[in-house]
Parts: sequence; structure tokens; C-alpha cells
Amino acid sequence: MILKIRKREESLGWGVLVVYLGALALALAVCAILLALAGKPALEGLVILFRGAFGQSYSLLDALVKAIPIFLCALGVALSFRMQIWNIGAEGQFALGAVGATFVALSFPGLPALALMPLMFLAAMLAGGAWGLIPAVLRLRLGVSEIISSLMLNYIGILVLEYLVFGAWKDPASFGFPMTAEFVPAGQIAHMGPTLGLSLGKLHWGLLACPLAGVAYSVFLSRTRLGFELAACGEGERVARYAQLPYGFLVLLVMGLGGGLAGLAGCIESSATLGRLQPTVMAGYGYTAIVVAWLARLKPWPIAFTSFLLAALRVGVEVLQLELQIPAAFGQIMEGAILLCVIAGQFFLSYSVTLKRSRPVAAAASKGERA
Amino acid sequence: MKQWLRNLGALALISVLALAGCQKAPEKAAATADAPKTGELKVGFVYTSPVGEAGYSWAHDQGRKAIEKLPGVKTSFVEAVKEGADAERVIENMARSGTDLIFTTSFGFMDSTLKVAKDYPNVKFMHCSGFKTADNMDNYFGRIYQARYLTGMVAGYMTKSNIIGYVAAFPIPEVIRGINAFTLGVRSVNPKAQVRVVWTKTWFDPALEKDAAISLLDVNADVIAQHQDSAGPQEAAQQRGKYSIGYNSDMSAYAPKAHLTAAVWNWAPLYEAIVKEVRAGTWKGGRAIWWGMDKGVVDIAPFGPMVPKDVQDKVLAQKAEFVKGVDKVFVGPIKDQSGQMKIPAGVKAEDKELLGMTWFVEGVVGSVQ
Amino acid sequence: MSPELIIALLAAAVQGAAPILFATLGEMLSEKAGVLNLGVEGVMALSAFAAFIVCHLTGSAVLGLFAGGFAGALLCGLHALVCQVFLGNQVVSGLALTIFGVGLSDFLGTPYVGVGTEGFRQFAVPLLSHLPMLGPVLFRQDAMVYLVYCAPVAVWFLLNRTSLGLGLRATGEMPAAAAAAGLNPQRLRAFGVMAGGFLCGLGGAYLSLAHTHLWSTGLSGGRGWVAVALVIFAFWRPGRAVIGALLFGGVMAFQLRLQAEGTNVPSSLLLMLPYALTVIVLVFSAARAKYLKTGHSAAPAALGVNIEPEG
Repeated sequence: MILKIRKREESLGWGVLVVYLGALALALAVCAILLALAGKPALEGLVILFRGAFGQSYSLLDALVKAIPIFLCALGVALSFRMQIWNIGAEGQFALGAVGATFVALSFPGLPALALMPLMFLAAMLAGGAWGLIPAVLRLRLGVSEIISSLMLNYIGILVLEYLVFGAWKDPASFGFPMTAEFVPAGQIAHMGPTLGLSLGKLHWGLLACPLAGVAYSVFLSRTRLGFELAACGEGERVARYAQLPYGFLVLLVMGLGGGLAGLAGCIESSATLGRLQPTVMAGYGYTAIVVAWLARLKPWPIAFTSFLLAALRVGVEVLQLELQIPAAFGQIMEGAILLCVIAGQFFLSYSVTLKRSRPVAAAASKGERA
Repeated sequence: MKQWLRNLGALALISVLALAGCQKAPEKAAATADAPKTGELKVGFVYTSPVGEAGYSWAHDQGRKAIEKLPGVKTSFVEAVKEGADAERVIENMARSGTDLIFTTSFGFMDSTLKVAKDYPNVKFMHCSGFKTADNMDNYFGRIYQARYLTGMVAGYMTKSNIIGYVAAFPIPEVIRGINAFTLGVRSVNPKAQVRVVWTKTWFDPALEKDAAISLLDVNADVIAQHQDSAGPQEAAQQRGKYSIGYNSDMSAYAPKAHLTAAVWNWAPLYEAIVKEVRAGTWKGGRAIWWGMDKGVVDIAPFGPMVPKDVQDKVLAQKAEFVKGVDKVFVGPIKDQSGQMKIPAGVKAEDKELLGMTWFVEGVVGSVQ
Repeated sequence: MSPELIIALLAAAVQGAAPILFATLGEMLSEKAGVLNLGVEGVMALSAFAAFIVCHLTGSAVLGLFAGGFAGALLCGLHALVCQVFLGNQVVSGLALTIFGVGLSDFLGTPYVGVGTEGFRQFAVPLLSHLPMLGPVLFRQDAMVYLVYCAPVAVWFLLNRTSLGLGLRATGEMPAAAAAAGLNPQRLRAFGVMAGGFLCGLGGAYLSLAHTHLWSTGLSGGRGWVAVALVIFAFWRPGRAVIGALLFGGVMAFQLRLQAEGTNVPSSLLLMLPYALTVIVLVFSAARAKYLKTGHSAAPAALGVNIEPEG
């Protein structure tokens, strides 16, 4: 008996859902086993996790707030992944975006909100974009792997942020603690609740950036010439160059835009959630974004949905931490396990496996067959 | 066009989701603010690092265990909470779940605690090592610098090379104040000695902190002090046959041959007092509670056998002064690194000044960032 | 700097280089077989814990060492499974491995933070340790450092002087040709990934057993990523990996000593050095490759490309 593997001719249809749910179930099973190994009640743990994430209106709102930066970063990451440019640097671009926005907020406190806010967004996107362009240029000019350079720029970006917050930008009124002065009210993104007269928790107007960016993303990909060319570059550099696509320009574009989106997330996070810049603005959204982008197969709608799911996961893990004293790292394990299972599961989306009763052929080592 | 419609649909979906959230306002704990609290008192603790076996969070957890023994008190804790937006949710979850009194034990939780305190006026908050307060939020800390001063004296007596190494975490006032008090202690008994500082920008990274200590030993330091949770620097000192001074708790188990003493926390008296206040209804917000050796919140660990008797006696004599409530650590004349007079002779630095200390005293070698 | 300080600096550089070198050689084996493994950081984190916990429970540092290696091989086995059997994307699978490994190490390790182990201690090699300069730098280290001296030679020998190594390299260059020659590229790749994982695991074990003798979470601290970068810097050659690892150990040791000497440079800038150096080193080696036109021949041709099934 051998397994026969064939490339699928047509899409799996509803099977896609089955594959994803199966992968998710497998990942959850692994996590439950780990909980049990750590001497915690496994089933109860998962129940608490889900209750914590989805059980209350405020937890859903919390997750929505958290999903904003993840969504923006993931969109940026997905853009470059589409043409097989592996931008791992969202975290550093996020840091630089926060730095850029803070620079504006601290330099022009007298401006009205209508001028200050757009300037902050612009500065954040420019700073994040520039940070994203460094690996792009290094790759195009010298062939330096963007994986490593963008990753190292994460560490450097965070240290740049720390350098400024511990040094020149330290608020004199903060008793020497590492934080900038609070932004002027015009530089702070307001909560949505009071304006709308609703109780919306910490949900803020930064949320609007998500549909805007999402729409721009899908329009760019499905309606513009550059978007089509980008999709065509998905087959890799050699194919793209052979087809005489503007490969270099596209690399610069996706890295610049991706960095800009991550920078925007950094701006929103420091302006809306903290109201100032401090090192704690870095919460690892840039890495979660990579998980999100891939789980969502780089498509904007699924990215929105998955961002929300993984944000909810983070919120749920906090409740788990509170009730069962389970380390926060459990959330990371779940992210990793889900991603691994889904990557493995995606195999079934593009290949069909059938069981065949036949004698092994002479070339048993042939790579098409797996015993 | 279809794309646009779908996008609009999503926007609507998000709005509906958001609106769904507003149907039910978060339930808040139902205790009244100032009435004495009868029945079970739920006390929560938020730690920034894992409790582990020693270190800063471990010391706080010892305090938690002490109040857990009081009748009618139930405690809970969350460890390894990242500072920033996550912390806010953790604290809020605690407040929501009916906790009456919440201790947030790291500087980085300050703004998060303040925000949650405003939303939950009936819950009492105690934030450690910051400077902000609210009607239902105190800040508290201990005068660990008194213990630092005493350990500095020990180091000043024990050093032969007159170079003392200090492995420091982050350049924030709490750490700088500790280095300054330590150095003043060193120089009070050994004016020729200098203190060299290496920043690691970590609270717990044994590998890096050990390497930092080794780098100090390499420039001839023969006593190593530290301001982190890990015993990495202690290890390094023992390995090289030099001396070390611990922090947070007695670290002698990690380096029995090197460990001279340590500046240690003892939170139990403060935590017990706060719980009693809440019970009696005398607890008030808006205070800055800063207890010292006189109240037993800070102390030094037992001396190692290598510390001579006369040194022990001199240090204990100074400790007796602190215990009596006489605190002369930051009384002038005190100059900074460049020799400029910062605290004139006879003047005692105010707490506010200590809280925002960003300069090194004379005798410290190293960058203050 | 005095001569004593320079010797101390070099000795510290060797210590700092040891875990990075193990991991770099491990990644090199994997990449030579054609599999990019970005999970090194997670593998090091998890194997550091495995080594610690086994040493803590059994009291044997040697058992701990093997536990670290096997944990590394096992976790990389997962990568091999996802990429070889399920044809998953190597970049993303590696990233997932890092997230998973670091998380698992934190999760399992949190209750043990601050617990000490005996691990490996330093001992001076008789005679050799009295050599001027070289003695104190190279031969007053711990057992694992002596082990790491052998590792590049062993990897070089495996790759260049054995038929197994030839097969590995063929698989990394042209799996189809390797298969045509009667080799089993799937099995060779799995071997490369897992043997590489074992070496990365030794690097992780070094951190908890020899470097700190103390468990804490976050022990790998970005070293795994540096290792991935160093493979490129080394042009996939074990000898150059030694230089790269020493350079890194050296910079880390140097910035701490600069502070100990009493510099006025802010510490954030100094802590940036190793990461900035990684980028600079990459730029430098890429520029060199471009200048000498050797860049493309250095990387295994089929690196990162999965073997597609027929039909």
C-alpha cells in the first residue's frame, strides 16, 4: 500500500474549512496536552481561555483594540510576502513609526488637531517606510537577505526608541523615568465611546485606519496595474525579471508601504493607547502579524478576521494567566502551534492524497512516493 | 464595485460588533469606598517577572504569603506580566473579578494602574516605585537606598583594589539612587575607592549580567554589586575568587564564598499594615508611602563569614541609626561626577529630589544613560 | 587597554562565541542539505531548557548536554516534517518554530526561574594553559568550549570528506540529480535538518549549562538569529563561521568592557553594536561576493526550495 500524491486541479471548496478546522483542532490538542503536562486542568484551561476571549462584551472590545495594530502590521507584511519578499521587520518599523509620530507630537505641540494628527501619521509612515526600505535597498543593490537584515533592524529600531526615551526625549516631569511627556490632547487619538455616546471601552478612532487600509490594499491588488504586476512577481525574482516586470521598483514599493503600515500602527498605538512614547509600546505585534498574514493566506478579509482572532487569543491568555497562573508564554505556544499545523494542513489544499494498493515500483526512493 | 460593497459590509460588521459591546457596561465591584471592609478581603498582586526562587517579584510574593495568613484574606497573583497595554488589561481583569485591593509591583505598571483606578473607583490600588496617585491609588516603596548605603560600607572596607563593580539594570532614578547611596556608603569608609557601572538594560538575563560582572572583574574590580534579579553577577564573583553583594534577597546560596551581604526587601510589615487599614476603613488614596529600615521594610542579609567582626560592628552601628529613624544618606555636601556641588553642606535632599535622581555622585565612573 | 585586559577580552570573546558557533554550524548543515531553518532561536531556547531540566533532575551535566542536543534535533524534526512531508513554506515554518520554541521554553521554564545547576565548570588544560596569550584565552575554559573547538573540523570533515556529506551537498544543490544518482534526497534533508538541530541544541545547552549555571527564561536572547546571519557571512564554510562567531563574541565582550572602563557613550548605543554589526557584516560579505562574483555559487542552489512530488 502506498500513498499517491497528486497536485490538485481545482480548489477544495468547503474542504478548505475542514482543513483549517482540523489544523486548529490539532493545535488546540497539543496545547491541551502541554497544559496537562504542566499540571494544569487542560479542558478547564481551554474553556477559560475561550470565555476570557469571547465571553464578555468588554473582552471582545479589548480584542478589537488589540487587533488594530496587528491588522495594520499584518497587511504590510502580507504585501511583501505576496512577492516572496520576507519582511520580518514589522516590529522595528512599528518602533520607528512610534518614534516618528512622537517627534511630531513633541515638536509641534501648538498645532490644531486637524494639522497635528495628519502630520503625525505622515511622519510615522515615512519613518516606518524608511526603516522598511533599508532591507529592500540592501537586497536589491547587494543581494543581502532581507530576512536577516529586517530582523536585525528590529533590535536596532527598538534600541533607537529606547535611546531617545532614556535620553533626549525624556520628560523632565517624569522624575527621570523613561517616558516622553504626554502628547498634547490634539496629538492623542480619542476614544470612540464618548463621541458616539456609547460605552465602547478603550476602542478608539484609530480603528478607522483599518478599513481604510484594508480597502486600499484590496483595491491596489485587484484594480491597479502595479497590483497585477505584484501578483505576477509571486513566482519569484527570476520569473518576474524574465517577464520584464519592474521587480526592483516593486520590492521598494512593498517594503516601503509595508513599513509605512507598520509605522502607522506604531503611531496609533503610542498616540491612542499610551498617549506618549515609552519602551512598553513594544508588545510583539510585529511578530504576531507574520503569523496572521500567513494564516490568512495574505488576503485582506481573512487578515482582518485572523487579526481579531489572535488578538482575542492574547486577551484570553491574560485571563488564563489570572485564573490558573499560566505563564503568558502560553499564548505564544498557541500561535506557533496553530501556525505549524496550518502550514502542514495547507498541503492538503494543493495536493490530494490517495491510498493505492499497488506494488512499490523499482524506484522506491522516487520522491513522488511516500511509504 | 463588488469589492467596494464587500468592504462597506465589513465596516458595518465591525461597527455592529463594536455596538454589541456597548449593550452591557462592565460590572464593577460593589464595595463602597471608605466603609470598613468586612467579610473576605480579596487582594491581588501583579508581578513583572516570574516569581521563581529569588529576586524582586519573589520578595513581593513573600509579602503576599504573609498577608495570606491573616484571617479572612484571600490573595491571588499574576506573574510575568509585560508592562504596557497588556498590563492594563491584566489589572482591569483583576479589578473586574471583584478584587478589593490590588498591588502592582513594578514601575512600568504606573500609568496602567492609574487608568484602571479611574475606571474602578471602588477598588483600592497600591502602585510600587512610581510617583502618580489618585483618590483610590497610593504609591509605595521602600528606602532600599539605606540598605544600599550599608552594603556600600561593607564593600568599601573589603575592597583592596579600590575598584568596585556595579552591574546595573536600567538608568532610572530607582537604580541611580541605589548606586549613589552605595557609593556614598563606600566613600564614607574608603574615600579612595571608586564604583564602576555597567548597564545591561535587563532585569533578568543571567548570561548578560554575568558577562557584565566579568567585564568589571577584568578591569580589576574586586567587589561586585548588582541591581537585577538574577544571581549571574554573584556567580561571576565566586568563579574569580572575588567578593559580591546581592540584591532583593539573601543570595548567599548562589555564591557562598563570595557573598558578603545583600540589600534585601521585606514587604510583609507594609502589606500587613495596608490590609489592616483597609479593614479598619482608614485607608486613603493619594499618598506616597515610603518606608525605611525603621519600619523593617528594607534590611541587609546576614554577613558572610569573610566579613571581619570589626567591619560588621561598624556597619551594624550605622544600621542602628537607620532603625532609630536617623537617615543621613543624602545629607550634603554631595557633589556629582564632575565635582559640582549638588546638595550643599547640611542640607538633606527632599524625597522629591531622590525620586527624580538622574545624576551620579562623585566616585561613580560610568555613563548615566 | 592593558595586555591583561586584552587577554581577558579575548577569553570572554571565545566564551561568547561558543554557543553561536554551535548554532551556526547546525544551521549550516541544514542549509547545505537545502533546508532553510529560521527556527534556530526557538531551538536554542527550548534546548537550553531541556539541558537545564535534565541536568537539574539527574545532576549530570553530560546527560543535560545530550538532552539539549536531542531536544534540538526533535524540534527540527518537526520542521523537517512540515517542510519535507507537508511541503510547507520553509521561511514561515521556521518562524513558527521560533515562536513555538521560545514560547514553550518560557512556559515550561517559568516555574524554575532562578534555579541553579552545577553544569560544566572551567578547568585549565595541563601544559597548554601555560602557553603565553593562547593559554589563558583558549585553554582555561569549560568542557563545552573544548568541544566547540572540534565542531568546525567535524562539520567540515562530514561535508567534504564523507559520502554522506557529498550526498547532503548534492541534495542541497540539485535534489533531482541526487535522486537520479540513487540517493534519497528526502531522507538526506531530514538528516541534515535534524543533525543541524542537534548542533543548535548543543548551542542552547551551552547557555544554561556552561554560561550561566542558572535557569532563566529568554536565555537565547537573539543568538539564534545571529547564527542564521553568520551562515551567510561564512559563505557556508565552517572555517569562516569560526571567524564570524569570534567577531560577535568579541563585540559583545568589548562593549561591556568599554562600559566597565568608564565610557560616556550611552548604553543603548553600545547594545546596538552586535545587531548593527550583523547588518554590516552581511553588507560586507554581500559586497565582497558581488565584487568577486562568487555570491551565487556560495549558497546551495536549492536552498529553501521544497522537493515537489511527481504527478
